[in-house]
Amino acid sequence: MKVSPDYYDEIFEFKGEWDMPSACGLKIRTLGGKPCIIVTELYQDNPGTSVTYAGRSLAEQICEAKGLDMADIVYVECNPNTNSKLSFYDEEYFEVDFDADPQHRYRQLGREEVMKITTK
Amino acid sequence: MKPFKLKLIYPKWHKLKGQTTFNLPPHGPVAFAATLPEWVEVSFTDENVEAINFDEECDGVALSMMLSTQVKRGWEIAEEYHKRGKLVMAGGISTMLHAEDTVKHVDCVFLGESEGRMEEVMQDWVNGKLRKFYNYMGNMPPIESVGPCRRDLYKRELYNHKGVQMVDLFHASRGCRFSCYPCAVSYLGGRKFRPRPIDKVVEDMAGIDNNRLFIVDNSLAQNKEWEKELFTAIAPLKKKWISHTIEDDPEVLDLAAKAGAWYVYQAVYDTSDYIKERVKRYHDYGIGVEGTILLGLDNQTEDDIKRLIDFLGEIDLDLAEFTVMTPFPHTKGYDDLLRQGRIFDFDWNHYNAGQVVFQPKHMSPERLQELYDYAWKSFYANESQEQKMFRLFCNVALREMEEGTYRPRDRRLANKSFGRDVDRSVRNVNL
Repeated sequence: MKVSPDYYDEIFEFKGEWDMPSACGLKIRTLGGKPCIIVTELYQDNPGTSVTYAGRSLAEQICEAKGLDMADIVYVECNPNTNSKLSFYDEEYFEVDFDADPQHRYRQLGREEVMKITTK
Repeated sequence: MKPFKLKLIYPKWHKLKGQTTFNLPPHGPVAFAATLPEWVEVSFTDENVEAINFDEECDGVALSMMLSTQVKRGWEIAEEYHKRGKLVMAGGISTMLHAEDTVKHVDCVFLGESEGRMEEVMQDWVNGKLRKFYNYMGNMPPIESVGPCRRDLYKRELYNHKGVQMVDLFHASRGCRFSCYPCAVSYLGGRKFRPRPIDKVVEDMAGIDNNRLFIVDNSLAQNKEWEKELFTAIAPLKKKWISHTIEDDPEVLDLAAKAGAWYVYQAVYDTSDYIKERVKRYHDYGIGVEGTILLGLDNQTEDDIKRLIDFLGEIDLDLAEFTVMTPFPHTKGYDDLLRQGRIFDFDWNHYNAGQVVFQPKHMSPERLQELYDYAWKSFYANESQEQKMFRLFCNVALREMEEGTYRPRDRRLANKSFGRDVDRSVRNVNL
């Protein structure tokens, strides 16, 4: 399950749960005047914690590394398409609101919204 | 140095309703015990087969936990020992999965694999400096350092059913290069397949006083050359073993059969000819098949599940084990269902793979639960799980007799089942 490099501009290494060395794909775009951080799960190339499980901690680490303000970003998690026969590995994008309760923290983006944030 | 008396406990969990219970000697505690310094004296209790004597003299307590359904009981045990002024350390797979919760209930959480680490931990303990966390996640010890387990700690008579000794658990590798949807092994053991050196495996296996083993590795089908070398090397031991998937390759299957493959756990995830042929190929080499069937995935409708259950009757499985999709932390399944707001139950006692804790995509949780119950009843309608097990047992006993390795059952324990008196009034445990 190799993830296509088209999903990211760089590999971002971060401290996962219990400081496990972890990695994700990272793109930063601008959306409505705000930085839009898109983190992509790398599956076999992520040795540690998933982007979803890392959650807010990953967002904070990216903001710190890139000089961004946590209060002023759009944060999106990407499940990349891995060309698997299994539907669980289809492409999906979720906007994350870390201040919401777990049931309402994630909002799946529609095709047009995805186009807007992934097209340069 | 004064010995340190460590009470090592494997907490009990509630077994699934209506299923035959075979208590196997647990692997984690004795693998952990083998990594302790010599000056640590271990007394082991598997609470699934005997009660804990909380007043047994000890200097400290270690909880070894594998299943999510053990962690809450582990916390209760810790509380009992705290009342007696004892410090409690927790480790093992489910401690790692539920570390954030567990650390609130114990004095020390050990994360990672314990080979080469326990001298430091135990020295800290003796010196009154036991830390809240010992974190070796992602920092695996050399696989060569994995040695034989402390199987001498088992009370063997407690892992015996009507005179028949249960299989011993054994591992030939750690880690997994696959990232399967419902599985956390790649998170726990690393995303790299780490096979043990073959000579170590052979030495370890030869030292086990049991002719029947369960090789518990996540999947042996991760490195074909190593797999072939492994099977060739262990064949002279004449052990009989159960395992998860074996490479679908005639040469590998032939070597596995010659090395004593008894039966394998094979995922049956659809009704394809591939699955049918896969099962047949195992059988062609004299290897039995226990199908593992996961129900409630997003690509399954009610009709799909019913068709899958019907299909099992066509492929001549020796046994079947049904589970419902369970979003264990640190799996892709957990991430997906969490993002979609579909997990409604976070009580870890319910994470037994037999209870629905999430909203399925194509049906209600109640309906999935009904289909799960129907699957068990349907598959074992004409022949109970115990009867099918007995047939597999006869197969292996015949092979052992041919090879001169058969050990008759222990008549002294004929009326005992896992340390308890056999209730002869129960004829069919699946009813």
